[in-house]
Amino acid sequence: MIEFQNVSLVYPNGTQGLKDINIKINQGEFVVIVGLSGAGKSTFIRSINRLVTPTDGALLVDSNDILRLKGKELRKLRTKIGMIFQNYNLVRRSTVMKNVISGRLGYTGTWKSIFNIFSKEEQLLAYENLKRVNIEEKLYNRADELSGGQQQRVSIARVLTQQPKLILADEPVASLDPPTSHQVMQYLKQINQEDHITTIVNLHFIDMAIEYADRIIGMRAGEIVFDGPASEVTEKTFEEIYGRSIREEDKRGGGEIDG
Amino acid sequence: MAKNVEITLPTKPRSKWTLIKRIITLIIIVWIYIWTISSVTIKWDVIFSSRTMENFDRIIPRFFQPAWQETSSIFGKMFETIFIAYTGSLAAAVLAVPLAFLCATNIVRNKFLNNIGMWILGAVRAFPEIILAIIFVAAVGPNAFAGVLAIAIGSTGMLGKLYAEVIESIDMDIMEALEASGANKLQILFYGILPQVLPEFLSYAIYRFEIDVRASSVLGIVGAGGIGTLITFAYMNRNWEEVGMILLVIIITVTIIDQISGFIRKRLV
Amino acid sequence: MDKKASFIPRGLYPLRTKRIFTISAVVVIGFYLLSSIITESFIIDFFIKIPNIFGLIGDFFPPDWGYVEQIWPKLFETIHMAIIATTLAVLISIPFSLLAARNVMTNSIIYQFMRFILNIIRTIPDIILAVVFVGLFGIGAFSGIIALIIFAVGILVKLMSEIIEAIDMNPTEAIRSTGGNALQTISYAIVPQILPQFISFSLYVFEINIRASVVLGLVGAGGVGQLINKEINFMNYPAVSTIVIIIFVVVVIIDFISAKLREGLL
Repeated sequence: MIEFQNVSLVYPNGTQGLKDINIKINQGEFVVIVGLSGAGKSTFIRSINRLVTPTDGALLVDSNDILRLKGKELRKLRTKIGMIFQNYNLVRRSTVMKNVISGRLGYTGTWKSIFNIFSKEEQLLAYENLKRVNIEEKLYNRADELSGGQQQRVSIARVLTQQPKLILADEPVASLDPPTSHQVMQYLKQINQEDHITTIVNLHFIDMAIEYADRIIGMRAGEIVFDGPASEVTEKTFEEIYGRSIREEDKRGGGEIDG
Repeated sequence: MAKNVEITLPTKPRSKWTLIKRIITLIIIVWIYIWTISSVTIKWDVIFSSRTMENFDRIIPRFFQPAWQETSSIFGKMFETIFIAYTGSLAAAVLAVPLAFLCATNIVRNKFLNNIGMWILGAVRAFPEIILAIIFVAAVGPNAFAGVLAIAIGSTGMLGKLYAEVIESIDMDIMEALEASGANKLQILFYGILPQVLPEFLSYAIYRFEIDVRASSVLGIVGAGGIGTLITFAYMNRNWEEVGMILLVIIITVTIIDQISGFIRKRLV
Repeated sequence: MDKKASFIPRGLYPLRTKRIFTISAVVVIGFYLLSSIITESFIIDFFIKIPNIFGLIGDFFPPDWGYVEQIWPKLFETIHMAIIATTLAVLISIPFSLLAARNVMTNSIIYQFMRFILNIIRTIPDIILAVVFVGLFGIGAFSGIIALIIFAVGILVKLMSEIIEAIDMNPTEAIRSTGGNALQTISYAIVPQILPQFISFSLYVFEINIRASVVLGLVGAGGVGQLINKEINFMNYPAVSTIVIIIFVVVVIIDFISAKLREGLL
């Protein structure tokens, strides 16, 4: 369980990233955070694995305040939290296998990892996870030989190889076309349901948020302005969150095509 | 183009400073050339004397009669030259890595350390290899080792600078991904940074090896081993057939090495 | 999904890649050991000989500042040689780089011939050119200048012809369509595209020529190198270190000015 208690974050340049956030996210939930760019979605998500550090309040992950963690303890926390990025963030020149197994780095000793020594079980785990996202035949291809959607699937496999309790995804489909976007979201949803991994996704497409989320959190200017089950959400809710009328670009479309 | 209507062109947005700067630059350039031409001493009467003509008649034909009988000793020294270049560039390829990381502003976020690194590399690059060789010959004696040291130090300057540019051009988002998965700094280096930079590092190192083969072929002139040693002897003895032969061997060897290295580099990136 | 259930990945790279890695590593290290033996230079030697090197550095210090007076004339000669050689080399390079550019020189025989000659010239070290010209013209700056010109032309023609090959030919069409003649086309469509790089490369070659002309004196081709040779032979190390320091300062200053100028150009 994740709990934000009066969490605020002010960047060194004075920008207010988060403003007095109080929220609880339960184990196994599929949460979508919506909001315009600059609303604080990224800051929110990055606070949970401490890629940014809130300046005020307490952030509890399984009842531990993670804002105090440092060095080794922090890295241990991060091994349990997988993260997926808009630009996939794979090492383009490395093989798919090497990218996926780098999810094990937090569990592996420095010297072992420098000489690429991973146990049979870990290698098998990586391979199984590639199978889960149906990309196992690209095992030894270089990441830059893959399409965007394929690269995002590899990055999902990398995250799974971490064996996380929680997956964070920061605009995972913003660089993809509509059919591929749905495919990636379906994989995330499927993993959430099969493994009961809490999943928090940043999205700005309202139709995708409604389609995939259990719960939607709306953010504006660093504050939470909406929190409720996806079933209660309508376009009107989004107009309130965004503070303007809904436009065509706020929708991904292509939801009917079942990838 | 009606005659009676006065059309004023908008004034060119150029300040007087630009004009003044240009005039000053022009004056400086003209002054440099006057200074150069008036003070350089060339003894035209000696250069275009009958002796030069005789030299041409005497030397040039001998040049094109390579001394085939020296082939084996020349090839022996040429191999030594290649080995000097190889040992030197390999050492430089390794030495340059830490210096390059020190200089890369996206890795070491400390302007002061960056500048120290840049300063070291710049200082090293300012010395021609052969001057370094002179110093090292004085230090460790007239042998191939002095040549290796000169090449190693000389190449570090250029490789360090090129490496640093490669490091600064990498995709930093990957660091974030690895950091988010709980990897430590050293693991980020080996899984995030090195795979991105190694092919270019290797390619530059091989390119530098090409240059070093050329450079080390003349180090012998100051006693630092390799084929240059033979050049000095042949030249002192006015043995132009041998100079011609040495030149031929250098041209062929360098061409072959350039071809091989070009082939490898094309496949690397 | 089950079709490859028995498949177990073996490591992070395919076998073939691993094999290539291993073979390359063995070749590189093996060749390194071999060359270390032949040149008698193991890296350990460097650390063993550090006392020697530092001892020698002791001989080099303190520099003999009184010697500076004798350096200036030869140093200026070096700079003059570089200026003259670079200027002439640039002038010579312009027609030749046109001949060596594929999009200008459509005659492939001449083009191939030019490339061949260029490649040969660029393999000859500058100092060997100086040796040859000193033999022909005698000791002095003239031999050095000729050697530098040939050396610089080799580099410049290569760089410039590549620039010419990379230009955008569409503006030439545009100028021609407005009724411009050949000379106008060149000066309005081609020159603006290549001039900044031409000047930039000329300055770059000037930097190279400064370094090169420093060493040409070692074989009697004029300039400050002659002094180094002389003082090394007399084991007058404080004087040598003065020369080296002065050269260093001058090279750094010239590089700095040239780099600033080139930055302003591009």
